[in-house]
Amino acid sequence: MVDLKIGIEELNTCVQCGLCLPHCPTFRITGEEAMSPRGRIRLMQEIQMNDRPITKEAVDSFDTCIQCRGCEPACPSGVPYGSLIEQTKSTLVEKKYLLPKWQQIPFFFLTRPRLLRFFTRLLVVAKKIHLLPNRFAMPENIPIWDKPLRESGNDVYLFTGCVMDAWQRETHRSSKRVLEHLGFGVTPTGDRIPCCGALHDHAGLMQSAKDISQKVIRSLSENELPILVDSAGCGAALKEYGHLLGTDEANRFSARVFDIHEWVAEHLDVLQSPAKLPISVIVQDPCHLRHVQESHEAVRLVLEPFVETLIDLNDDGLCCGAGGAFSLFQPALASQARERKVAGIRAQSHDVVASANPGCMLHLQQVGVNIKHPMEIIDEALSRGIQI
Amino acid sequence: MSFLDRFKKAIGRTTSQDPFVADLIEALSAERVHFDATQRFLHSHDASVFDEGNAGPVCFPITTQEVQEIMQIAQQYSRPVVARGAGTGLAGGAIPLGEPAVIAMTKMNKILEIDIDNRVAWVEPGVINLDLSIHLQQYGYHFAPDPSSQQVCTIGGNVANNSGGPHCLAYGVTDAHVLALEVILPDGEMAVIGGLEPEPEGLDLRGAFIGSEGTLGITTKIGVRITKTPPDVRTLLLSFSSMRDAAQTVSAVIAAGIVPAAMEVMDQRITNAVESFVGAGYPIDAAAVLLVEVEGLIDGTEIEASHIREIGFKHGATNIRVADSEQERELLWKGRKTAFGAIAQIAPDYYLHDTVVPRSSLADVLEKIDEVAERYELIVMNVFHAGDGNLHPLLLFDAREEGMLEKVHAAGAEIMRISLDAGGVLSGEHGIGIEKQAYMNELFTDEDLNHQNRLRYAFDPDCRSNPGKVLPAGHSCADIQALKKVPEGIWG
Repeated sequence: MVDLKIGIEELNTCVQCGLCLPHCPTFRITGEEAMSPRGRIRLMQEIQMNDRPITKEAVDSFDTCIQCRGCEPACPSGVPYGSLIEQTKSTLVEKKYLLPKWQQIPFFFLTRPRLLRFFTRLLVVAKKIHLLPNRFAMPENIPIWDKPLRESGNDVYLFTGCVMDAWQRETHRSSKRVLEHLGFGVTPTGDRIPCCGALHDHAGLMQSAKDISQKVIRSLSENELPILVDSAGCGAALKEYGHLLGTDEANRFSARVFDIHEWVAEHLDVLQSPAKLPISVIVQDPCHLRHVQESHEAVRLVLEPFVETLIDLNDDGLCCGAGGAFSLFQPALASQARERKVAGIRAQSHDVVASANPGCMLHLQQVGVNIKHPMEIIDEALSRGIQI
Repeated sequence: MSFLDRFKKAIGRTTSQDPFVADLIEALSAERVHFDATQRFLHSHDASVFDEGNAGPVCFPITTQEVQEIMQIAQQYSRPVVARGAGTGLAGGAIPLGEPAVIAMTKMNKILEIDIDNRVAWVEPGVINLDLSIHLQQYGYHFAPDPSSQQVCTIGGNVANNSGGPHCLAYGVTDAHVLALEVILPDGEMAVIGGLEPEPEGLDLRGAFIGSEGTLGITTKIGVRITKTPPDVRTLLLSFSSMRDAAQTVSAVIAAGIVPAAMEVMDQRITNAVESFVGAGYPIDAAAVLLVEVEGLIDGTEIEASHIREIGFKHGATNIRVADSEQERELLWKGRKTAFGAIAQIAPDYYLHDTVVPRSSLADVLEKIDEVAERYELIVMNVFHAGDGNLHPLLLFDAREEGMLEKVHAAGAEIMRISLDAGGVLSGEHGIGIEKQAYMNELFTDEDLNHQNRLRYAFDPDCRSNPGKVLPAGHSCADIQALKKVPEGIWG
């Protein structure tokens, strides 16, 4: 019998009403109880409280969760689903039901930026000669050689992360330029803080995530500068360090973290009526911005002065299926979730889709969606000069 | 599914030893028939507080023909079947008794056709209620029955339970909005009940089928009436310092000849729980709040709203607020419709009751319910469709406490008797399921029940379609006790 190490009180906050079901992307795709938050919680309750054996089907049920956390804002009882599933997956990994050692290898590289960049180069080459499976989402245009971001001042940190810094450094450059334009000197965290641990935590490697978070907190505690994040997933993870570690220090750290859009929205008044780009932009809300950080409105606020038209995406509030490494481990579900999202995108005429998370960007780019980070769009608008 | 699973399926490793299951897999596919312990457990209950049943193989058909094949196979092996929608039922209607094949209709979720000229939409039963209304927005229409669970419950489930909802006060419940049904009878025969003609030929069997809780067969296609969305809506929120004042206001509004689209009452406890979830500005210090909505042409709603204000103040309303914006209105309704889920902030389990009493005795019945709760030392919260006297007392408890569930059921039984004594009926909209079977005798005579049973026999002579539900033991074809026995290890 397996102890999932979830508090009974936490499990009991779920009354099995089912209001979460339509907000769960995997339930929407499959219509199956086992692929719904209610079903997953029911299994957790039974395993934890009634010693139900963990079958392969139960493991599948947990493993197919994208961890988008769309069910959380939908839950009138306030079930802390995110932490329930993270704890469950962590126990399952520990007890060897999930994520065998060989699958943990990629996570090793996330905290080793030089190795990560080295392997990125190998992957770029492998991709070019079609050695990689198609489902492996990777941007087409990663330069083989690229200089790291330079420090331009000491007003704010820009959190650069792991894969994003290796694969989408141009986005960071845009973010940095936008911040500089608003008058902030930027310290990129770069190799000093190689990874936030979000991917580890989602995969069930909770101890690694905790170790990483402690390192991150230590490295950024020499001053009290605000920490700005242009990846919704990393931002959500950093903001939840307080919860993950449960220490005062971690809570204080989390309070310093801002999604870059929140920050920019607060300081837009510095700019004088910028020239709008003559484009219509669909805003695709990343789940960890919408459901976890709940700061997705800030994206609209910051984009609005810079583009002709902003369009809300009619996606029923559902995830695109990227889910960090989810699209690698569950390719079939990930692409079905994506189909729904892409159908919504194609239903509206637009020039570009804006998404504030690297995972969503990669996942949607794969099927030919023209997608950009909001900071890239603003950077482009700013580079055209300000109307006076 | 991982590569290994696909491989196993390809070489037939997951095929069951049981020929019944093997035939089901043959008819559907290995991906859409689950017979492992975990999946069967997950389909052994719904959102109610009753003991789990025992699910047999769980089937996910995607076409009418597949449903037909499942029914035929079940007949061939003399096995029961139970249909299931989103599993949000509160009376245990979808709890499988006697190891039936569970037919989960959630994959049959297509809106097939919108026919604006005839004001009808053809849908598959797994379509989520709210999804249909959202889809109809572009045409200026909606589907009127709006159960509180409308964001998740399926239209097939609505048909099975003849579901109501806040706005059914003016528009009528589900049976007033279903024109035609394509059904598969328990022997696998397909039949069409009702039709688009104003006077369909022969007996109109819609009334028998709608609300039959899956005991007469399974719906595979539904032609629903769609309703033009009114040009103006006004939502009033009235606060009261006593529940009696609120209840009397409700009676007075109807007595004044106004039939609002919806009239909903919530007591202080539930208002507080809801407010902390939605933050819609519900008054947390009022003993009761009344949510009233009037719809129609602007001039009409204006007059009705001002009438309701007058009546409200005359009956002791301490404050009356009108929603200023669509956003405010939506928040107020979100609060009302998530009320049941919100109570977990207070206790881990709830028993949501459903009875109907004459509007004029609302206040008395509510006071008696309070007495019952006090006597059993239970927390009771009231949130209900006041306009049609449909009460939903919520009993809050923690099922882990020894003897608690029995206590809750005993209190529930007393509440039921109070409602019947006041001239009420057993269920407003949740159905009988297994929850209220035992009380059917108290509302109906033996003769009534025998007739109901005969109707059931006409459709389902072998009693295989959702056995052990609705009709009480002695009047139903299958003995419920026998159905609850656990034949262990059949599926392995």
